[in-house]
Amino acid sequence: MKLGIIDLETGNIASLIAAIKKLNLPFKVCRSQFDFEKTDKLILPGVGAFKDFMEKIKSKKIDVLINNKIDKNISILGVCVGFQVLFNKSNEFGENKGLSLLNGEIKSFKDYSEKTKVPHVGWNECQIINKNKLFEGIESNSDFYFTHSYLLKSSDKDIVLTKTKYDIDFVSSVKKNNIYGVQFHPEKSQYNGLRVLKNFFDNC
Amino acid sequence: MLKKRIIISLTFLDGILFRTKNFKPDYRYTKNFIDLWSIDELMIIDISQKKFSEKYLSLISFFSTNCFVPLSVGGGINSLQDADLYFKHGADKIILGSGSINNSKISKEISMKYGKQSIIQSLDCRKNLDQNYYVYAKSGKKNLNLDPIILAKRAVSNGVGELLINNIDNDGSLLGYDIELIKNISSQLDCPIIALGGAGNWAHILELFNETDISAASTQNIFHFTEQSIISAKNFLKNNKIKIRK
Repeated sequence: MKLGIIDLETGNIASLIAAIKKLNLPFKVCRSQFDFEKTDKLILPGVGAFKDFMEKIKSKKIDVLINNKIDKNISILGVCVGFQVLFNKSNEFGENKGLSLLNGEIKSFKDYSEKTKVPHVGWNECQIINKNKLFEGIESNSDFYFTHSYLLKSSDKDIVLTKTKYDIDFVSSVKKNNIYGVQFHPEKSQYNGLRVLKNFFDNC
Repeated sequence: MLKKRIIISLTFLDGILFRTKNFKPDYRYTKNFIDLWSIDELMIIDISQKKFSEKYLSLISFFSTNCFVPLSVGGGINSLQDADLYFKHGADKIILGSGSINNSKISKEISMKYGKQSIIQSLDCRKNLDQNYYVYAKSGKKNLNLDPIILAKRAVSNGVGELLINNIDNDGSLLGYDIELIKNISSQLDCPIIALGGAGNWAHILELFNETDISAASTQNIFHFTEQSIISAKNFLKNNKIKIRK
């Protein structure tokens, strides 16, 4: 079994690779169709802005490759912006469409409260709403590292795995069929984060 | 609820870990006794004359592959390409020095590519005899004659995500953070702020979190980098009702 780490060559995936290496998981960095073919699970890591990120996905036709894999029942885990693009749209730098694999809209913390300090940076708790193997061995309200200015306020109830409280409550992880997403950075969340990555590889 | 962060800041001179006092290298450590599992975040800064040395770049890789917390890297960044180099070696965020603050192009370009959450602007401040605060560049040697609040606002509008506020005279003093300075800036900015410079004991960190609403305390000197001391700092803060990561 091999984990594919999707590299859009926009930002930094060194941290994620370091975490995957620490866990001794076999992986392949995916930049082309050829790379995708050799993988059994996918991670879509995300740093940067939603708009740029989606443009890169489209121009490299990564969306088609992702859809093909999902149709073949391959699991995918979106991280941070990689989580956000799983949904319908975001209003970061104007309204931009996402991959629409899941229902929901990404908005700014500022849309809910002008006073909120953004980005939301640091360690915050994930309250488990629906139990799932992704969080196996992790207690509810464990800390994970977040850094983001946009958020998912709500989605279909049954897909929400955890919620997190900042100035408002938001969705910090989801799961629908073989599609998984986390707003936090598992690769920067020490034991808890490494456990989530391992759970994804082993059980999801 | 968002936890307060304890960030360890390490300064390197020609690849060797030093602590600094008033911005001058003062005491040498080895990186091996840093407890990478208890800290919330790590900052490393190159204070060497010659930046981007192989030694420093390999240090970034060392920390990036050994600590699974956010790693911020600073030292001599004057272009997007400089930042690219640090990101490529495993930085999660980069720290811009005061010297780059008048060049808005750098932070704009970096934020377009990596997002604003990946840029920390450091502001090295000093209270002058006229009782006003000024921002300094060139390791605290050059007064830019500019008000920290104005520069902080400018930085944020140019794409910076976090601010690192240091008082040069408190650096290495162990006398506590400059609460007045931090409060002034924090009350007028709506981004996360990290205080650096001056912590001598746990009570100084407690004072910082009680007196201001900022999200992170950074320190180099008080941690003698044993597992015990970071854990005991966290326990002390927790016992005093500060929300700290477990």
